[in-house]
Amino acid sequence: MNREPLSVAHRLLDEQILDSEGRRCGRVDDIELRGNPPRITALLVGEGLYPRRLPARLRGLARRLAGPERWGANALRIPWEEVDEIGASVVLRGKAEELGLGAADNPERWLVRRLPWN
Amino acid sequence: MKTVLKIALGIIAALGGFLDIGDIVFNTQAGALFRYDLLWAVVLGTLGIAVYAEMCGRVAAVTGRPVFDVIRMRLGFGLGLAALIASTAVNLLTVAAELGGLAIVLQLLFDAEFSLFVVLAAIGLVIVVALLPFGGIERLFGYCGLLMIVFVATAINQGPDWGAVAQGFVPSLSSSTLYLYFVVGVFAAALMPYEVHFYSSGAVEEHWDESSLKENRLNAIIGYALGGVLACSLVVVSGYLFHPVGVDPSDLGTAALPAQNAYGETGLLLALGGIMFCVGGAAVDSSFSASYNLAQFLGWEWGRYRGPKKAPRFTASWLVFLFLAMLVVLSGINPVEITEYSVVFAVVALPMTYLPVLMIAGDRSFMGDHANGPISRTLGWTYFALILVLALAALPLLLATNGGGG
Repeated sequence: MNREPLSVAHRLLDEQILDSEGRRCGRVDDIELRGNPPRITALLVGEGLYPRRLPARLRGLARRLAGPERWGANALRIPWEEVDEIGASVVLRGKAEELGLGAADNPERWLVRRLPWN
Repeated sequence: MKTVLKIALGIIAALGGFLDIGDIVFNTQAGALFRYDLLWAVVLGTLGIAVYAEMCGRVAAVTGRPVFDVIRMRLGFGLGLAALIASTAVNLLTVAAELGGLAIVLQLLFDAEFSLFVVLAAIGLVIVVALLPFGGIERLFGYCGLLMIVFVATAINQGPDWGAVAQGFVPSLSSSTLYLYFVVGVFAAALMPYEVHFYSSGAVEEHWDESSLKENRLNAIIGYALGGVLACSLVVVSGYLFHPVGVDPSDLGTAALPAQNAYGETGLLLALGGIMFCVGGAAVDSSFSASYNLAQFLGWEWGRYRGPKKAPRFTASWLVFLFLAMLVVLSGINPVEITEYSVVFAVVALPMTYLPVLMIAGDRSFMGDHANGPISRTLGWTYFALILVLALAALPLLLATNGGGG
């Protein structure tokens, strides 16, 4: 990865994530920072994280609608080491399935996979 | 010669969905009520959509980002979600309006129950999407929508007072709220947000890159110029025929009558055919847009080019949107009324679509040398200011004129 400075809020948060095969598999819904000085340790992805992105007044309602954050299910942690490249999108080193990303686009779950326009 | 033809065909395909039920309803009524006085608003709206479509297409070609990708990036999750909800509501109303329009045309062509045609129209669209690849869908509606040229021929055949027509291109305002309502309506009908959602996502569907920028510019300049001529001809033919006798073209079938008046039954059939393909194309564009937006905002896999197996959530949401729109039409609300609401609410949602696009298109860290130059920047921000004013005026005018009812 290149070492040029990167504005995290400008170029990383909310960005589209692609896996190593170019599959769209989520967006950067939040970023995990650790240590002192803080370093990015992981990208956080999943619909369980949406409530925390809303203004405080709406958060309670959203939490009640969406349910709690369940790590490994509706909130996933993608270690920073998995990030291969940040360009027009965030590209990961691995495949989406291995990281648990984009599982809801698994065709087995959907009847529409049988539609004729594949 | 071959390349010229290829370019021309590409432009016409990209034009599909530009003229939709909103333009047909608003422009025909504007002609009947104010003769040629609102032609300038058609031109203003067409120039606006050309500016933004060019920008959205350029952003998509250079960065691979369609509109809602950009919205999530620039507005963040919370504000972006508000934009998504507003756009989805408007798009859903638009799909319903187009579907209703399609059913009206079918009913005029083959006399039978309206609700039957609503269902058949929806099924027909699913079949078209199933059978054709993305480019084929665009070409079908783009080429066949050219039947609308019958309105240009009708305008010339009528031989209106061209001096009066020319006068219509000079902007004029009046204190009449009905006139102002139609200024907003005619302008907004040209600038419907689904057009840029669809156009920019289509650029990704067709694997555009920097080498497509020329095609993008030609689409914007020549394509929308042609679209603008077609849109103006609707005002002119209606102004010529309906204004003197005070006919209120409150249903879609009336819009086709000037062509019948000029060319008999052939003219009528050509006009109805043109309307059918324009409205059908717009139904596909707006329903796809609803699913594009949702998928792009949430990071799902999307695209007709991926197919249902690779993009099942995108495909399923498209079917759900189409189904919901069908229910709206079947609820018995007059499609022309749905059209008016979809156009007026679209103006209110427009600023949230266009602000992030302007921001990204002007951002050199994303766009490099293809960032907005002085012309795009000036036009873009001028139109944005105009859209803001109209967005504030739209709802009061809708209420004050009782939905254009006077």
